[in-house]
Amino acid sequence: MLKPLVFSVLLALAFPAAGQDHSAHDMDHEAHEHAEAASETDTDAPTAAPVAFAVTPDMAAALDAGGEPVAVDVLGVVCDFCAKAMNRTFGRRAEVAATYVDLDLKTLNLVLAPGATLPDGEITELVRKSGYRLSAIRRGDAAFEGGRIEIAAS
Amino acid sequence: MAVRTAALCALALALAGQATARPVSYEGGWTLIEETDRQGTSLWVHYTLNPELSLGLRSEWDRQNDVVLNTVQATWLVNRWFGENYQANVYAFGGAGLANGVGNNPADPGPAAYAGVFADWETRRWFTSYQARYSDGTTVNDQFMQAGRMGFAPYVANTGAIHTWLMVEVDHRPDNPEELGITPLVRLFKGGALLELGWSVTDDQPLVNFTYRF
Repeated sequence: MLKPLVFSVLLALAFPAAGQDHSAHDMDHEAHEHAEAASETDTDAPTAAPVAFAVTPDMAAALDAGGEPVAVDVLGVVCDFCAKAMNRTFGRRAEVAATYVDLDLKTLNLVLAPGATLPDGEITELVRKSGYRLSAIRRGDAAFEGGRIEIAAS
Repeated sequence: MAVRTAALCALALALAGQATARPVSYEGGWTLIEETDRQGTSLWVHYTLNPELSLGLRSEWDRQNDVVLNTVQATWLVNRWFGENYQANVYAFGGAGLANGVGNNPADPGPAAYAGVFADWETRRWFTSYQARYSDGTTVNDQFMQAGRMGFAPYVANTGAIHTWLMVEVDHRPDNPEELGITPLVRLFKGGALLELGWSVTDDQPLVNFTYRF
């Protein structure tokens, strides 16, 4: 039984502790092809600089129809499973006309159905049900403070 | 008795290396997972009750020893750390069910159970994980396995693109004739689909894992 335990310790030492390694600081920068406005820090603090709003064709149509844009900064978004979780969770809601998660921007981009409302508390809860945590919500014109990026397809 | 003992030993080995690719999804989400490694093949479907808990049905086949195990598995997200550029998770999981011999293995069905932990840390460029598991059956002593994995993405892709990862998995199974396994693999990831293809250089066996998140 001793041998497995020794091996366990060796393996544990070989891998960095969860959440303690901030070596990702430079890793995502090259991926921000269209995200000059996106934050380039690696801290847990909310993003300070305005982040662009990503707009898919469905979202553009919903905006043209009078839907309200909502940009949500989300922590821990690192893969397509994260994007799918939020797209599915929010896409099920009647208040949401279109949704898109941008991994480069680390944002959940929503357009509400015309006349619909979705309070901040509800958005926070839906992000939690998706398995994540948000750091900021921007609505209306504030969603476009960092510019607008057209996405070919979602 | 020897046959049953061998079957349960084989079962314990087959239980190894199972917890991969986010074993808890979003609330109300279904996930289908197929895993084939140097020891066996499993098929697993789970439903996420809430962001901290999933329940699933799992069927596993130890190809080397012709043992099949059918279990109910629960996976609990103990904690998730969020950063702007990283995510880290610690999961605990446990399963219980029945094992039986198949093919040339005449072992009768018998109860078996397992419990373990799985942890990962990842950015969009780097990935690392560790898991450990104890398993037990009616006539077998404790069985233990552990595995670690490190991965690197040669490029960082945005939403909906094909994400490619190069990884190496090292697993340690004290009861296996080949205690230490080393398996380089490629992970391809797009939308809700994840495919891993690798080859165990120690056992000369393929690794084929597939996950689809509905």
